[in-house]
Amino acid sequence: MSLFVRFWGTRGSIPTPGHSTRRYGGNTSCVEVRVDDALFICDGGTGMRELGEALLARSSDPVDAHLLLSHTHWDHIQGFPFFLPAYRSTTTLRVYDVERDDDRVHRLLLGQMRPEYFPVDFSELGSRIVPSHLDGGCTTIEGVTVRAFEQVHPGRSFAFSFAKGGTKVVYATDSELDRTVINRSDILDRPHALRALPRDALAFVADADLLIADAQYNDDDYRDGWGHARANTVVDFAIQAGAKQLVLFHHDPTQTDADVDGKVERAMARIRAAGAALTVFGAREGLELKLG
Amino acid sequence: MTEETTLDELGIAVRLAAPRRPFVLIQLEGPGAPREVPLELPEFVVGRSLQAHFTIDSSRISRQHFTLRRQGPDYLLTDLDSANGVFLNGVRVHSAVLRDGDMVQIGDVVLLYREGDG
Repeated sequence: MSLFVRFWGTRGSIPTPGHSTRRYGGNTSCVEVRVDDALFICDGGTGMRELGEALLARSSDPVDAHLLLSHTHWDHIQGFPFFLPAYRSTTTLRVYDVERDDDRVHRLLLGQMRPEYFPVDFSELGSRIVPSHLDGGCTTIEGVTVRAFEQVHPGRSFAFSFAKGGTKVVYATDSELDRTVINRSDILDRPHALRALPRDALAFVADADLLIADAQYNDDDYRDGWGHARANTVVDFAIQAGAKQLVLFHHDPTQTDADVDGKVERAMARIRAAGAALTVFGAREGLELKLG
Repeated sequence: MTEETTLDELGIAVRLAAPRRPFVLIQLEGPGAPREVPLELPEFVVGRSLQAHFTIDSSRISRQHFTLRRQGPDYLLTDLDSANGVFLNGVRVHSAVLRDGDMVQIGDVVLLYREGDG
């Protein structure tokens, strides 16, 4: 069994090209998860454009992919109209909603290609785009167990886990974990105290080999209600869930590379202080990990 | 500047004529350190083999450990299924687009990647 994870877009909210974001990247959310021959695409942010180019360059075989969107906010769908394989008749793209009777993802991908927003109509895409669902939150796709978990985010969002052969990857972006912290008053009163997270969220992530998690904010720039997490809260989440590696994801658009470096260093310090065996790093465009 | 030459054209000419700094890999630790190797090829193999472009005599390094491949303005590092892996800034990676100042560790060897403008 082989499992690869590659980051094509790591930024939150809006693309941030430029010298100050060159190391971690300026494209919005898009992560490729390859499990043996199964290709999963987590979110269709602007990073999806380069993923499409890479897929066509990688092989002449038809692209057959499963697209899972955490939600349909702009920074998670804007790359889709620029995903070149979608224009090929040989491509099959399965687009997932979580629930059986929901077609919101498909409708919104179609809607953002109306002529008011984009010059090419959805109906002109040459590929086979198949609305699919996750059977209410858990299904098996090409031998990979895929689960969904609803998170706290304006307008809803979902985390996804991918498991096969004892290896598990969790993609959990656009999640305001801080609003679910059980001892929430401690975050301000005793910021160094462990932030206890709910049992169901911990169970979803339990023992993940890799947790890719929304860590947009530091403690001092957190925006209550904007749908994103403090990095320190995510560190505590990963520790309590027993994750092996934590990737700080969905960097705030105001954060330069140096700012993200600082966020990672503070996360490392918190892990050391907790005496935990957890590896942490900042999600970075062009980085590929091999697991399993 | 002649009457026919615009400032824009002059700027382009100056930039094209400027000396280019090469991309380099600097070995900071491990057998043979310190030393520096310019990356002058589109593909560059680092390993224990004498056929590698950058040979490092360490038993903890595979014969062909990783490759650096030019992709536009960048170099892409790829682990060639090495026994002990490639660590980028402390994280084990399969591949990565390198950035100036990245530290690459393989076995007992530490390499610093410096971007050029060539």
